[in-house]
Amino acid sequence: MREFEYYKVKNLKEAINLSKKFGKNKRFLAGGTDLIVRLKDNLIKEENIIDIKNIEELKGIKEVEDEIHIGSLVTFSEIIESDILKKYSPLIVEASKKVGSPQIRNKGTIGGNICNASPAGDSIPPLFCEDAKFFLESTNGSRIVNIEDFFKGPGKTILKEDEILVKIILKKWKENEFGFFNKLGQRNALTIAIASSCIKIKKSDGKIEDIKISLGSVSPTVIRAKKVENILRGLKEYKKDEIIKICDEVKEEIDPITDVRGSREYRIEVSKYLVFEALNNLLNIRG
Amino acid sequence: MIKKIDISKALKLNGVVAVLTYNDIPGLNGFGIAIQDQPVLCYDKVRYIGDAVALVACETKELLDKAIDLIEVEYEPLPVVEDPLKALEKDSPKVHENGNIHLHTKIDKGDIEKGFKEADLIIENEYRTGRQEHAYLETESGFAFYDEDEDLLTIFCGGQYPFRDQIQIARVLAIDPRKIRIIDEPMGGGFGGKDEITTQIHLALLAYHTKRLVKMEIERDESIVFSWKKHPMILRYKTGVKKDGTLTSNEIYIYADTGAYASLGGPIVNLAVEHSCGPYRVPNTHIEGFCIYTNNGVSGAFRGFGVNQVTFAMESQMDEIAEKLNMDPVLLRRKNILKKGDETGIGSKIETSIGLKKILDEIEKHPLYKDREKNKIDSSEYKKYGVGIAISYQGTGLGVGLPDYGACWIEMRRDGGFNVYSGSVEIGQQMKTTLKLIALEALKISDEDKVFIITGDTSITPDCGTTTASGATYRSRRAIEIASKKMIDILKKEVNEIFNIPTDEIKIEDGIFKNLNDEKITTYEDLAEILYDKRRLPKTEGHFNFPTSKTKIPGAFGLPHYIFSFSGAIALVEVNILTGKTNLIKAVNLIDGGRVINKIGFEGQSEGGIVMGMGYALMEDVIIKNGEFLVKNFSTYLIPTSMDSPYQIETIPIESFEELGPYGSKGIGETTMVPIAPAITNAIFNATGKRIKQTPATPERVFFALHKLPEK
Repeated sequence: MREFEYYKVKNLKEAINLSKKFGKNKRFLAGGTDLIVRLKDNLIKEENIIDIKNIEELKGIKEVEDEIHIGSLVTFSEIIESDILKKYSPLIVEASKKVGSPQIRNKGTIGGNICNASPAGDSIPPLFCEDAKFFLESTNGSRIVNIEDFFKGPGKTILKEDEILVKIILKKWKENEFGFFNKLGQRNALTIAIASSCIKIKKSDGKIEDIKISLGSVSPTVIRAKKVENILRGLKEYKKDEIIKICDEVKEEIDPITDVRGSREYRIEVSKYLVFEALNNLLNIRG
Repeated sequence: MIKKIDISKALKLNGVVAVLTYNDIPGLNGFGIAIQDQPVLCYDKVRYIGDAVALVACETKELLDKAIDLIEVEYEPLPVVEDPLKALEKDSPKVHENGNIHLHTKIDKGDIEKGFKEADLIIENEYRTGRQEHAYLETESGFAFYDEDEDLLTIFCGGQYPFRDQIQIARVLAIDPRKIRIIDEPMGGGFGGKDEITTQIHLALLAYHTKRLVKMEIERDESIVFSWKKHPMILRYKTGVKKDGTLTSNEIYIYADTGAYASLGGPIVNLAVEHSCGPYRVPNTHIEGFCIYTNNGVSGAFRGFGVNQVTFAMESQMDEIAEKLNMDPVLLRRKNILKKGDETGIGSKIETSIGLKKILDEIEKHPLYKDREKNKIDSSEYKKYGVGIAISYQGTGLGVGLPDYGACWIEMRRDGGFNVYSGSVEIGQQMKTTLKLIALEALKISDEDKVFIITGDTSITPDCGTTTASGATYRSRRAIEIASKKMIDILKKEVNEIFNIPTDEIKIEDGIFKNLNDEKITTYEDLAEILYDKRRLPKTEGHFNFPTSKTKIPGAFGLPHYIFSFSGAIALVEVNILTGKTNLIKAVNLIDGGRVINKIGFEGQSEGGIVMGMGYALMEDVIIKNGEFLVKNFSTYLIPTSMDSPYQIETIPIESFEELGPYGSKGIGETTMVPIAPAITNAIFNATGKRIKQTPATPERVFFALHKLPEK
């Protein structure tokens, strides 16, 4: 492991000021489940580590009118245990259950998962389906960005050098909303997704009033399958062959790579079935 | 190819104690159990990415990285030999000067042409198996020091055979092996991966040169790269069978990728050849085994020792035959299983106990198999359930012509207890518990504190052969039995002398000597005091040669084996046909290990065997491309977690009494794992109608067996 300077900050302001000072030459330490591993493997070139674990402003899950605010330091275990989220935003709870192992879920944070910007980040697909908004703060003040504008590529985001993700803002679920998250891994736990899909549906009078589909691990970032969404929106009858044909369109929207977990060809082919499997859990597909 | 090694800069770094290269090796620069073809430190060529070029000792661990960075090695790249089949071609680059074939075994039995003429059905397939990592609990590590006054080099390091390590080190250091003491306990796991040298020689070299205490610890991502793996094999099978299910012939070609160095690759290929026809009567065979050098890491001993691969192939063949003949898979196997006196696929007679019929009886009546069609009804549209079976056998012990023996020393202590010294080592398989149970029974006492088991130290224990080949318990148990019997005889004689009672009228019950009227004469404790006063506390020795076959197989060193353990497995799988992801839901292991002595140990071996076999079947594979490891640690090399393990595991002991074994028992360490993979892939076929011919059956492989890749 290389040597580095370690700073433990008490509040957001201190963290932002230090960030400004070090610019690119710093990394934030939240849960550490990713950073510590990379430090040990000498993959971190930055010389300053800012430990933000003690910043109160980044903690807690709160109900704010029809929104839920999740602090970026909230761990996956906290999400899984949260009554607010179980009631008003169950998709993020389901996805959090699939993150790593109990030890990783106890330490790993949602903010870390987002800012790492891995296309395989398990918490990200549901946030796409929720149209999540990110509250960011820097020396220039705060701003709110839509999730769709946040990711720029694997490991890349729009975050400025002195900017911190403070919280994630979600809209509370309504009664006629349903969702499903499925993650395909080489094994059933402690695994990085080969591919994942997440669907949120709003139904009224038996038809799909609205639908959001997101896919993980099949493109440089998590993506929304808007083409498929558009075809499905308004659908009333759910015939198997037709739905599979629609799901096939997802191929046009993804651009996966080949790695040790799976080939590009497999990811392309299996994505349509992952979307189909999720739809099958949400709709009464016949024939 | 190494052009130049420059260590001068590293030596100048403050805190570097020693940097050693091949120039610093006093004796033979080579090691290997069978042949010493692997350099301790490379001098002319690096044959795989885990080869060692220099050894560095530093005052602190942190300095090591810096020192290693300062060593300059100039290489000239050589072509990489990657594909074992291409390595066989005449114009292939050579990994070793003598060519890429380390061993080629060829066996003919009967008349293969006649056999195929008699057949009504011929099944031909090619199978491929993955490169499995042992994934033992602890990586290879140890420490060593040299005592100049005593001229004694002591090495603490987990290993499976301390006496062979001693000799391998002595050859390299060119010193008397008696000047080396190896203590190789405790260990968390071996599975064959620590049968060969790991860090022992490097530790010895550094301690000998520096005269200081040296510690060496291999990190996991280094361990996976440098250490031995289960041989990936390409297996070509052509099997002939009559309409009634009688096997007539088997033509088999086995191509094993042994990587850069031989280690035990030769014996492993021979074991694969020996077991390639499964536990069946096949009158006409032509079997060829090739052990092939490549630049793909190194392969070596691993639980199953070549039998996993051929069992996967043969049991897949049997499953396909049953399907094509529309015959019950158990019935097909019943028609062909070996009976006492039958010849195996390589033409050697089996004269020891065989539990196969009982295993098939148990499979047939087990609800998981009997009601397998009912289980399928529970399948949902996109999740298919299926049941598969497989049976297998495994020769225990090392085979003909190889030194294979057990030894034990027992001494009575002043407190009436016993010290029992055995050369077998605890490698996580409950060896010490088992030895203690055997010694307690043999020495006729029940107080656990009265028997102290001492193992794994070349200075104080006898040489007991290697703890491998499912035979360690067997070897040491027999030796303990013999030494214990001698001890009991001596004790009775002493009682006879002191109390004047004829020895045949003395019996022992739980450490108490009694006469024929059940009256107490004396106890171990009291007798020990008397004997101590006379300075003649007894010591005994037990020696035992592992039974081997009287006949040899020409051209196949070590074959055949004499005693075999048998096993069978039933697997219930769930296949997600949308994604190809397969889960093992229930598993039953039926094991003929003779009489069971340590029940918890027996079940532990079985359950571990199932999960390890399941990892082999479904996910485990060290992927190497162009000599580079794409999988280096447990984040990418995946082994089953508790969330993957079947929620129901059942172990059924099939106790065929083996007259030669201690208390009628046989070794089971390997056979518990062997039938699992084919049982799982046969279950996938039962669920989906698609046969998986390459392990591991990853989601991707199963998916593309179910869904055709669209044409471009």
